[in-house]
Amino acid sequence: MEAQSQVQQSKSIESQLVITSPLDLLFNPRSVAIIGATPRENSVGGVITKNLLTKFKGKVYLVNPKYDEVNGVKYYKSILDVQDEVDSAVIVVPAPTVPKVVDECIRKGVKVAIIISGGLSEVGEEGAKLENELRRIVQNRIRVLGPNCIGVYNAFNGLDTFFLPEDRMGRPKPGPVALISNSGAVAGAILDWAARRNIGVGLAVNYGNKLDINEAELLEYFARDSRVRVIVMYMEGLKYPGEGRKLLDVMREVVSIKPIVVYKAGRTKAASGAVRSHTAALAGNYEIYKPMLRQAGVIEADNLTDAFDMAKALATQPLPRGNRVLIITDSGGMGIQSVDALDMRGLQVPELSESLQEILRKQLPPLAVTRNPIDLTGSATDAMYKFVLDTVLPTSYVDMALIIALMQIPGLTINLSNYIVEARRFNKPIVVVSFGGNEYVAKFENHLEENGIPVYHAPHRAAKALWALYEYAKIKGVVRGW
Amino acid sequence: MVMNPIVAKALEEGRYKLLEHESFELLRQYNIPVPDFALVQDVNEALKVVKDIGYPVALKVVSPDIIHKSDVGGVILNINNDELRSACERIRINIREKAPYARVSGFLLQRMVPEGLETIVGATKDPIFGHVIAFGLGGVMVEVLQDVSFRIVPVTEEDARAMIREIKGYRLFNGYRNMPVRDEEAVVYIITRFSELLSENPNIVEADLNPVIVLERGKGAYAADARFIIGTA
Repeated sequence: MEAQSQVQQSKSIESQLVITSPLDLLFNPRSVAIIGATPRENSVGGVITKNLLTKFKGKVYLVNPKYDEVNGVKYYKSILDVQDEVDSAVIVVPAPTVPKVVDECIRKGVKVAIIISGGLSEVGEEGAKLENELRRIVQNRIRVLGPNCIGVYNAFNGLDTFFLPEDRMGRPKPGPVALISNSGAVAGAILDWAARRNIGVGLAVNYGNKLDINEAELLEYFARDSRVRVIVMYMEGLKYPGEGRKLLDVMREVVSIKPIVVYKAGRTKAASGAVRSHTAALAGNYEIYKPMLRQAGVIEADNLTDAFDMAKALATQPLPRGNRVLIITDSGGMGIQSVDALDMRGLQVPELSESLQEILRKQLPPLAVTRNPIDLTGSATDAMYKFVLDTVLPTSYVDMALIIALMQIPGLTINLSNYIVEARRFNKPIVVVSFGGNEYVAKFENHLEENGIPVYHAPHRAAKALWALYEYAKIKGVVRGW
Repeated sequence: MVMNPIVAKALEEGRYKLLEHESFELLRQYNIPVPDFALVQDVNEALKVVKDIGYPVALKVVSPDIIHKSDVGGVILNINNDELRSACERIRINIREKAPYARVSGFLLQRMVPEGLETIVGATKDPIFGHVIAFGLGGVMVEVLQDVSFRIVPVTEEDARAMIREIKGYRLFNGYRNMPVRDEEAVVYIITRFSELLSENPNIVEADLNPVIVLERGKGAYAADARFIIGTA
């Protein structure tokens, strides 16, 4: 018992050391009250109750006047009955009761409320009235996430307000990707998808109706949280007058610290009644988001898969100092596809110098092509890949590597993944294209990804990931001549 | 922020657009190059003032009621020595025919800018992002091909350079065929000054510098026409 509390103490000290943002308690509370907790498993409140009771590494208080005690766990009538300090409250009560409950939280001294409850401004006039009442009560006396949101997922401390049962939504392992999602349902689907692919999305958040905490603040928090290496944002549209400008400023600051990948979907309604002629008509809403993202220095994704393809590389790879790519392949066809995809994104596949090619030719079989792409053909072996990597990647002729390994050929074994992982020592970005269906391929891919080498199932996806690294390198100013 | 007197005056008079000479005055305050100009009331004044401005000139009707001057025959370009009197007369006739109820405050007499690459620098005010600046090539390039780039105010020099190079027609800046290389930096300057003008004048809800004529490298660029729509933002 004593040992346990010591562990907990050292944990909270650690989080205090790492994080200094006002949103600290949103993601890293020491204690959480669930208002509207319930033992009914298939309800929203029930899933959250179970999540926190089983996983959260901190104190949990259950509040619901209907219960006294269930399975040996105490229920409080009101948060005001809890004796200890409560950092954060997760609110899952019917909309009309939300204002009263939040008022109690303020009186109790709770610092952050995650309001899961829907039925506020998103449902029409009645709800909007309720939300305004809530806004009047809040007035900077408590920080609010939501209402009408799915809340927070923190894989590091088990804080999980996603009300989707575990058998329906997998939970990703702790990892360097943080997700900010405009949509709760999309956030849930992304986490499930990421969990299945073993992508470490350590932190995720959805802000719902955005009564208080907004994208800009969440970005600022993630920028400071040292566990996060790349931020992925799913955006539909902004809401309040003037907040676009503010978000642009914050994004600019954040990208000087870590990369942001944004997928912008949908369009907000153009302001009604605004007289828009000529220039205004051309500046349709999407036309404003696009340059805004560019101006901010964020990396724009075309869809969610694309966003995570790039995030994977940004989270694991060093930044390139230029745009020249070494391609090593065991398939000429895949090599050509890669050249196309890289060229379309402004990356180069330079022909290697004659002297370097001479060195390669001495060791490689006569049919191998040594210009770049280096085509090892169907007679490729692990050792050939290793030889080319070790010979060419450290030279000043290339800035990064795209390795195509179709594992169906007999000369390649799982050992190739070790050689590729070892090449990380050259401190240049490496991505791998692998394609196939057998278990051996899956093992090869898993081994690479577990050791920080991102794998893609198509050349254009790998090319896009390298492009993202190069774009971010330019933004960070590490590219030669920039 | 104190409202610019030009904007304040227009709002006071219940106008939602700046008059031609007011627009040019505003641009001048922000060092955006404009050709020499003067507001004149009639032919006689025009003939007197033109001696300072010098030929060739452009003549434009000034009216709080007309937004697209050329649609009603309110613009005559490239007027030389002995054509000024008849040009004044022709505009009066055109307006009487095509916009009989428009109030006419006078004529804008303006030195012609030499031929160059015609571009457009425009702005609109978005409720969420504030002022957004657009850049494109003049004529069909903007309207038909939508070859336009946008940035949110404030626009830095670097942003401005990027937005110029982003349009597909950018090649025309680099001396396509026999055309000279254009003064790109002069456009960068205009865009950044325009950005500052917008930042300091939140009442501007829409603006067009159309055309901005870009001369060959080292010779600058000029806003040859300007339109500002204001509101009580």
